[in-house]
Amino acid sequence: MEIRPIVSTLLRQRTGPLLVALQVAISLAILANALFVVQERIAVSQRPSGVANEENVGYLIVRPLQPRSHPDTLAEQQRERAAIAAVPGVVSVAWTSQMPMSRSGSSSSVRLTPEQPKETATPAFYLGQPGFVATMGLKLVEGRDMSEGDVAELDPGTMGPGQGEPDVALVTRALAKVLYPDATTYLGKVFYFGAPGGKPTRIVGVVETLQSPSAGRLTGEYSVILPTRASYPFSRYVIRAEAGQIDRVVSEAREAVRKVAPTPVLTFTRKVSEDRNNRYRNERAMAWMLVTISVLLLLVTVSGIVGMTALRVAQRRKQIGVRRALGARWRDILRYFIVENIIITTGGIVAGLMLAVGLNRFLMAQLDMARLPLEYLAFGAAALWVLGIAAVYGPASRAANISPSIATRTA
Amino acid sequence: MFRYYLLLGLRSLRRNPALTALMVLTLAIGVAASVATLTILHVMSGNPIPHKSARLIVPLLDVAPLRGYVPGEKSPFANQSSYKDVLNYLRSAQGARRTALYEIGGSIEPARREDPVVDLDGLATTSDFFPMFELPFKYGQPWTAADDTREARVAVLSKAKSAALYGENVDPVGKRFRMWGSDFTVVGVIDKWNPVPRYTNLINGSGGYFNGENQVYVPFATAIAHEQRSNGSTNCSHDSGVGYKGFLASECIWITPWFELASASDRPALQAWLDAYAADQRRGGRLERNAPNRLFNVMEWMEFLEVVRADNKLAVWLSFGFLLLCIVNTMGLLLAKFSSRAAEVGVRRALGAGQGAIFRQFLTETGVIGLAGGLLGLVLAFLSLWLIRQQSRDLSAVAHMDWSMLAATFVIAVGAAIVAGLLPTWRACQVSPALQLKSQ
Repeated sequence: MEIRPIVSTLLRQRTGPLLVALQVAISLAILANALFVVQERIAVSQRPSGVANEENVGYLIVRPLQPRSHPDTLAEQQRERAAIAAVPGVVSVAWTSQMPMSRSGSSSSVRLTPEQPKETATPAFYLGQPGFVATMGLKLVEGRDMSEGDVAELDPGTMGPGQGEPDVALVTRALAKVLYPDATTYLGKVFYFGAPGGKPTRIVGVVETLQSPSAGRLTGEYSVILPTRASYPFSRYVIRAEAGQIDRVVSEAREAVRKVAPTPVLTFTRKVSEDRNNRYRNERAMAWMLVTISVLLLLVTVSGIVGMTALRVAQRRKQIGVRRALGARWRDILRYFIVENIIITTGGIVAGLMLAVGLNRFLMAQLDMARLPLEYLAFGAAALWVLGIAAVYGPASRAANISPSIATRTA
Repeated sequence: MFRYYLLLGLRSLRRNPALTALMVLTLAIGVAASVATLTILHVMSGNPIPHKSARLIVPLLDVAPLRGYVPGEKSPFANQSSYKDVLNYLRSAQGARRTALYEIGGSIEPARREDPVVDLDGLATTSDFFPMFELPFKYGQPWTAADDTREARVAVLSKAKSAALYGENVDPVGKRFRMWGSDFTVVGVIDKWNPVPRYTNLINGSGGYFNGENQVYVPFATAIAHEQRSNGSTNCSHDSGVGYKGFLASECIWITPWFELASASDRPALQAWLDAYAADQRRGGRLERNAPNRLFNVMEWMEFLEVVRADNKLAVWLSFGFLLLCIVNTMGLLLAKFSSRAAEVGVRRALGAGQGAIFRQFLTETGVIGLAGGLLGLVLAFLSLWLIRQQSRDLSAVAHMDWSMLAATFVIAVGAAIVAGLLPTWRACQVSPALQLKSQ
């Protein structure tokens, strides 16, 4: 197969092929960056929260209308928890101060020494009691679960900073790594929690994952679990149900709590799966939007290749007829247009690779996007290359069907 | 002559319907994608109160301790004010009006135990809030400044909450409900008021920057008297004090203050007052950081809180890249179309049409395609905005087209078509009449 005549034809009629190459280049630049963002958003929305079998877990918030005293609140918590545990289908129930991905909760700074001026991290702090780890379904990777002896009692109404805080805590592995990057074991390590000058807290256990309520991109994996019994104006119970029963269990738990409440209470229920949906709605909307744009992008590029090849075929009907009459086979004509297209597309892809990297640098500078990995460039280039050849096949085979007798007619 | 070109254009478009349809569709898709993403950005970054936004000012002091201070570093939580600063702002005579607000939540206690409890959330604020942000009243009126000082148990309800509590089209002024252990009297009902973005209380407990409604408003001092903490965000850089009294005296930040200036030119005076106030506080041992004391008008405030997410900007950049692709594509198709009409151009040139006349004729034809693409693009844009609204509550509040975006759609569509048509048109003008006539 002679490449030279194809190249010299291309050089003579530059505009059309250039426009096609330009389309391929723009497509590749946008496609690679868009797919990278899509993949990143989907990965973010599927990160584990630490809660095992999320689909079986929900929670119930109970808020008494009339304020209760500290001892009353703690007593009610026991009664309410017992009432929920008695609901058929409940595997376990635990009191907690907040839930991962629920987008509402508390965090506080931690330091390695009380004098350290800037905090090391600002993890979410979960208050809970024995049963919390099991109900959430957290995976303990080092040390032990909390025990009844670890639990401190916190009365936020009368206690100031440093009071009502336990001596020990469980932390997530991500937080432990940030606190002690070089340590091989985290047990027994001490950190300082809350306002500067706070008291030391000792790590007795490390859990694999427990995301914060915000589940943010960078700091969402930093959490501390404090064995604490606290009297907040509302109580929150996380409920693990038997498979497939969560809807019924949560609504029956709500009724059970209403029944035992001595004064009117406001209740509110939520499933962890709902929190996940709500938390990542924007991420999914973005991914969906970019996938749509990518599909349209490919369609437009393909239509451009088809249109341009059809035009070149139409312009050269007579020339093709002559070639056929002089003995060129069907295959030769087909190959001519496919090779021509490969040259154009490859040119476009080379330009597109540079354009994609340029676009990525621009987006990195403007919107702090991450660096585009090479796989996306390779994948985008391969996709456009294959698509380009597939697109040209139709018009090229029509060209190959041009009858040699055309050559004998005048225009 | 223009009418003749228009006629020629329409006729030529009819001659090759498949190609024309492809061009119109390509342009329309490109326009729809860019208009849809641009609309979202436009609404998100829109000015919710254009005639007044430069005169509504949020002051911000850095109350955090000196340790860990990196000058110029932006802390994600340092965007509210402490109770003591807010009290001083309210007592100052600065600006034409001033107010402060924080998010509250409560429940209406039913008269009988069996009745359901109704949840309420909204704002604790002062009487100046209503005229400052121009809230329309359906019934009644705001409470008075005197109500503010005497911690009156009064409330203003939203139209929706009033309808839910007392029935549709019922004037509830004078009715009472029980919340926080006290009886509150309804003094007014707000008619529909949903600014997007929710610039008055961007830092809120639910709904975020674009969604949600303040269902109830109560006097600031009344909420404080009932020891209500913020339902939104509270950030304590020092200790948070013991009990509610300690909390009020602490450096915790949880309130948003606002000043209304009589004229935007009064801003330097307010800045000077704030600097003097901060210096005075510093003498009392507060504000160790000596960080700049800042003022934000409405647009600056939304920028500071990053109301527009980077994602929305990314979507706009990528969809304009897509539009560029559609333009290049249309350019190729137009080139094909025009070059097949070289003979026609040759005849017209030979009959005396100048290059300018050919240029105008083909550009008119391009404009017709642009207009058709724009119209279809508008339809597709409405369709995609509708689809986007189904994605999330945030997006459902912002994916709405307004008149300026409608105009922008046409400018983008016709502009795109003209850009796409320039090269092919220029090429068509270059046709040499002699050559064309000879080959006939």
